[in-house]
Amino acid sequence: MGSKAPALPQVARRPARIVELWRFRQLIGMLVVRELKVRYKRSVLGLLWTMLNPLLLMVVYAVVFTTIMPAAQPNFAVFLLAGLLPWLYFATSLMQGLMSVLVNQELVRKIRLPQAVFPLSVVGSNLVNFTLSFLPLFIMMAALRQPFTPALLFLPAAAVILTLFCAGVTLLFATATVFFRDVRHLTEVLLQMLLYLSPVLYDFRQLGEHRTWWFHLFRLELRINPLSYLIPLVRDPVYYGRLPSLPTLAVALLWAAGALLLGFAVFTRLEPRHIHHL
Amino acid sequence: MRDGQIILEDVGVGYRIYREKVSTLKEAVANRFRHLRTAEKFWALRHVSLQIAPGEAIALVGHNGSGKSTLLKTVAGVLEPSEGAAVTLGRISPMIELGAGFDPELSGRDNVYLNGALLGFSRKQMSAKFQRIVDFSELGDFIDLPVKNYSSGMYARLGFAIAQDVEPDILIVDEVLAVGDERFQEKCKRRIQDFRSAGVTFVFVSHSLPTALELCPRAAVLHHGRLAFDGPTDAAWERYRELERGPAPGPVFQA
Repeated sequence: MGSKAPALPQVARRPARIVELWRFRQLIGMLVVRELKVRYKRSVLGLLWTMLNPLLLMVVYAVVFTTIMPAAQPNFAVFLLAGLLPWLYFATSLMQGLMSVLVNQELVRKIRLPQAVFPLSVVGSNLVNFTLSFLPLFIMMAALRQPFTPALLFLPAAAVILTLFCAGVTLLFATATVFFRDVRHLTEVLLQMLLYLSPVLYDFRQLGEHRTWWFHLFRLELRINPLSYLIPLVRDPVYYGRLPSLPTLAVALLWAAGALLLGFAVFTRLEPRHIHHL
Repeated sequence: MRDGQIILEDVGVGYRIYREKVSTLKEAVANRFRHLRTAEKFWALRHVSLQIAPGEAIALVGHNGSGKSTLLKTVAGVLEPSEGAAVTLGRISPMIELGAGFDPELSGRDNVYLNGALLGFSRKQMSAKFQRIVDFSELGDFIDLPVKNYSSGMYARLGFAIAQDVEPDILIVDEVLAVGDERFQEKCKRRIQDFRSAGVTFVFVSHSLPTALELCPRAAVLHHGRLAFDGPTDAAWERYRELERGPAPGPVFQA
């Protein structure tokens, strides 16, 4: 084998990232199962925590907003839960997902595989949690006599759109965290602020009118904030018993598709350099 | 070019080494990020050209830090070379470290499927292999115990049992034969010989001459990231000994 190698067809031989990822789709499923299994292994209540978690949060907020500073609408518990569930799905996916490449660095160092499987499996396991947490929501709705309308059939579509968005943002932040560990702490703070800057605990319609500059700024922020369009995908069918408006749906879809394309493109572009920064 | 072929052409893998320690953002700003500019490149591997034909067996020899692991990682596609080009054709069984990817909380059974998926196998494909893997590993009923309760020997046995059943075109083994008892080591060696006769390319990192001679007719010696020798294993070993005896210069930095 002394002869010079023919021109190296490296690029041609490497399958496109998306094809490679598709080949590893079963791995994503297994990582999701592993995450759920390991997370609840030693806990008595196990998967029940998935449902208790948003419920307990809901109780706290409901007490604050109905007794301490009453600003509430009828059936406020349902209103809150319908906003908290998508918010928690997003926030938890992001916080867990941005660490996922670092957490799995032993594998990244040893086996060649599309690293996107790690953030994506975090989003996947949170999707399972998100889906399961509709059970307590429905129980709450029944208990409070909130009507069940056919608009609820939209929820699977809402879950899909939310998932695309979560996946995109998580991919983007996961790669950023590899290069700058500060991203994790920064995101933690940003998420706390974002909770109040997004219509989770309140609704766009409740804002009314104020003639101050900061209020105009706030409204502008709400108009840009993708969560203003994503949260109604769940809240409109659950609380208002109607489908989200067409413009809301269109903007939500645009944000989801944009986030996913950007997140995937940036992640796969920087992926080969991750190993030098682990 | 066939599956099992490995071509490295003038491969270099460089890391940036920051000489000035900067631990806080404040210092970084105060120095106007000078530490980034004064970074030096450390070449873990440079100007390495190797051609390994399908079915060939080659041993990699070198002192600690000579670049063996970096070379293996480049071949396995985990690292992309910063210079030159590396092409590896076919499925690689990365026995760089046995049991890489085991989740200690999961049972041996779950880990077999997880490990299979990490190597790109579907659940169905792994089901077909499962019994063979358990048999090879000699774990018996322990397969349903969490892996964290395994002894290191059991751990390595399961790791090898999976790696030997993934129909590789290229087998990369990094000193794993040091684990497990002698009888199991013999079994692993026999399995590797099977692979050899089946035409699987074999890349082996070794510190033991007898094992290298037994498994590989050819050896490459790495010395401070350079290819110092490439040829028959016994001659390679002499060269390796020679280099070992010589003065050991520190790592080579180049701006």
